[in-house]
Amino acid sequence: MQESAVLGLGKLMEAEIIPGSVILVTGAEGTLKSTLVFGLISDILGNSGEHGLYVTLEQSKESHLKNMDGLGIKKRDELHIFDYRDMRREWMDQEPDLLEATKDVIEYYQEKYGNLAVFALDSLNALYTISDKADPRKSMYDFFSYLREEELISFLIQEMPNFRRNPLSFDLDRPERFLADGTIELGLMEGRSGVKRYIQILKMRAAKHAMEKHQLIADECGLKILGQIY
Amino acid sequence: MRKMAEYVPEIGNSDEYDCKRYIDKIIKTNREIFIMSSLLEKPMCGYDIIKEIFLKCNVFLSQGTVYPVLYSLEEEGILYAEYSKGDMRSKKYSLTLKGKEIAQKNIDEFIKSINHLTFLIQR
Repeated sequence: MQESAVLGLGKLMEAEIIPGSVILVTGAEGTLKSTLVFGLISDILGNSGEHGLYVTLEQSKESHLKNMDGLGIKKRDELHIFDYRDMRREWMDQEPDLLEATKDVIEYYQEKYGNLAVFALDSLNALYTISDKADPRKSMYDFFSYLREEELISFLIQEMPNFRRNPLSFDLDRPERFLADGTIELGLMEGRSGVKRYIQILKMRAAKHAMEKHQLIADECGLKILGQIY
Repeated sequence: MRKMAEYVPEIGNSDEYDCKRYIDKIIKTNREIFIMSSLLEKPMCGYDIIKEIFLKCNVFLSQGTVYPVLYSLEEEGILYAEYSKGDMRSKKYSLTLKGKEIAQKNIDEFIKSINHLTFLIQR
């Protein structure tokens, strides 16, 4: 087991992410978004005694745990995974307001542990698909404001289509891109030596960060950020 | 399946209406007690618990306030969950032996506290 779940993050960022920041983690399928977020949360919590909450709308809690275990990322006792599977199954005919429900879930864990520091939502796409909000922009603005007011470091996972395969499928007008304090992009690059995963910080308010794409690898010990790949 | 709004009980009179804001607050703050109390009667899924409390008390506990409690109580060994035969849609929760003791103890303490407060406030 490596000392940090995401080794080499210092190559990308000089400072730590400040509380109250809402960070988008975007990328196509298979780019390790969930793994990265698990790793980041694990490192942020460290031995601080603070708690984290990972809310999943797509995969089940068990499936996440299995994936993380396979990649050598140990789930800390202070990290709580809440999956919406049961709720969605039982309320199939009257889909609950998931943004409001998520706020209630956050409040529950805050109340229970007193020191909830990190929150993650997996994923915004699923939330948009399920939610029947008439005005997603307004709801998303309110949700971002709520997360900031709660002083949480928040990671919102957003799946992006692969541009090369489908350049017209990406909606540049999505509000979260403007609202977020930071954007971390994960992707795949094809080169002569094969396909490589990369990580790039596109934006990170109040922190000095590199702009270049760096190689990201995963093995049984966790994630590693290597050098620039162009 | 009927929508929750279709179950709304009639509000009897204005006194009852005036009480509602306190009842709301008490139930929301002590939802673990009300959830355990519902489960003392029979095994239920999250949906049934919300419906039961709504029908009995006219208080709607949102899904985001009930399901995390169920998961926590399950982790603590107070509840156990199983899917009903032939219905993989809902996970029914029951109190464990330890859970029944804890539920009864907490409910007794809660009733005593409410009675004590009533006594204090009426003096």
